[in-house]
Amino acid sequence: MIGLSPPRRAAMQRVAPPFLILLSATMVILGKADQVVFESLRVSVADTASPALDVFSRPLAALGHLTDRARDFVAVYQDNQRLAEENERLLNWQQAALKLASENARLRELLKLTPEPATTFLTARVIANSGGAYVRSLMVHAGSENGVERGQAAVTGEGLVGRVSEVGSRAARVLLVTDLNSRVPVIVEGPQQRALLTGDNSERPCLRYLDASAAIKVGDRVVTSGQGGVFPPGLPVGVVASLDGETPRVEPYVDLSQVEYIRIVDYGLADGLPKPVPIAPRSGRRAEPLPGAQLGRR
Amino acid sequence: MALKSAAIPAPQRVDNPVARLLPIATTVLATIISIQPAHIPGYAALTPAFTLMAVYHWTIYRPDLLPPFALFLVGITQDLLTGVPPGVTALVLLLARGVVLRHRRHFVNRPFPFVWAGFTMLTGGAMMFLWTLHCLLDAVLVDLRGTVFRAVLTISMFPIASFLLGRSQRTVMGAG
Repeated sequence: MIGLSPPRRAAMQRVAPPFLILLSATMVILGKADQVVFESLRVSVADTASPALDVFSRPLAALGHLTDRARDFVAVYQDNQRLAEENERLLNWQQAALKLASENARLRELLKLTPEPATTFLTARVIANSGGAYVRSLMVHAGSENGVERGQAAVTGEGLVGRVSEVGSRAARVLLVTDLNSRVPVIVEGPQQRALLTGDNSERPCLRYLDASAAIKVGDRVVTSGQGGVFPPGLPVGVVASLDGETPRVEPYVDLSQVEYIRIVDYGLADGLPKPVPIAPRSGRRAEPLPGAQLGRR
Repeated sequence: MALKSAAIPAPQRVDNPVARLLPIATTVLATIISIQPAHIPGYAALTPAFTLMAVYHWTIYRPDLLPPFALFLVGITQDLLTGVPPGVTALVLLLARGVVLRHRRHFVNRPFPFVWAGFTMLTGGAMMFLWTLHCLLDAVLVDLRGTVFRAVLTISMFPIASFLLGRSQRTVMGAG
């Protein structure tokens, strides 16, 4: 703009805003029609910005730790009491677990069961989240350089967070189980009922495609079923929290707004997630395997 | 008061390159703040639209230093980093700039309540626009409550942002 003559510059200034508005609108429509168009751009912007975002997110995290520490200090007596009780209870569980583990090993030996594929994981820091009411995702500071691949499961110690949906060389995006586009095949423990956990951008995703006769109760554990081959079976997801109307809702074990570090786990299943189809009529529901369509695979 | 608002004083000439970059720099900072993981329950969905605050402030006081092309880039970058369909934020910011620029004379050199009322209207419009757009894009009726809470939070945070932006403007650019 520097070298332009004043009348030219004035003309530019008149034309630029409507042109840019039109350009943005075109991008929105284009991105909706074909999700792949912007994927590489998205990934490279994330890669470029990830070191800066990492730096910026640290003071805020440190502030969070400081307030946590102050709170911990106040609650140290109650915490100690609670932990002592919990320790006693857990020691009993440890005994039970050891007994079951040895029994399990004996039975596996009897059955000649093939061992499950070895899992590897890496831990990554959350450096950005999607501000706004319409997308639920996190960006983590690890990418293909660290071995992250599309479709890998993202978990914390408590349970499932989501899955890796985009991977750059240094950063990756994790689609949370609460996102509108998230579909996770699950089993409701208790009635052993298969269902599809579908996010709707609320804090509690819904259970869909349940058997109408299924006797589901509030408090039933929900774990991944392993159907579709994206997640291994048995990963804890959450508990049934409400049964209002037709669709029961699940409270995830992980407090998704408090996640600071995520484990990206490779169960050797990452091939289960198909690449996004370049042009599809409903590409908004990004290439998610349908539960029925995947049954024959495993 | 009426006389005062009739004539918008021409923006003071600013030669200091740091001062000239202030509007763009603070808008970028607002974008970075709005994608920070804050570790507060439910915050991600209700993150105030910090970028909109910066755009509103600078469009009123220094529209010459926040060109539409910079807004476009900021909006697209924010979309790409947050996983929102690319173009959505850019579209909202550019439309907001257009609307504010048209009604700028009602807000320049007016007491803060006027400015805040203007921002309330702008935020209401922008949030409804976003909600409609996402309903159309995802072909579902998105729960309106999140949008309303986000709008309320954005409007109630505006005085702080306005104070900080005004302070930085006075410090870096001098009175004006």
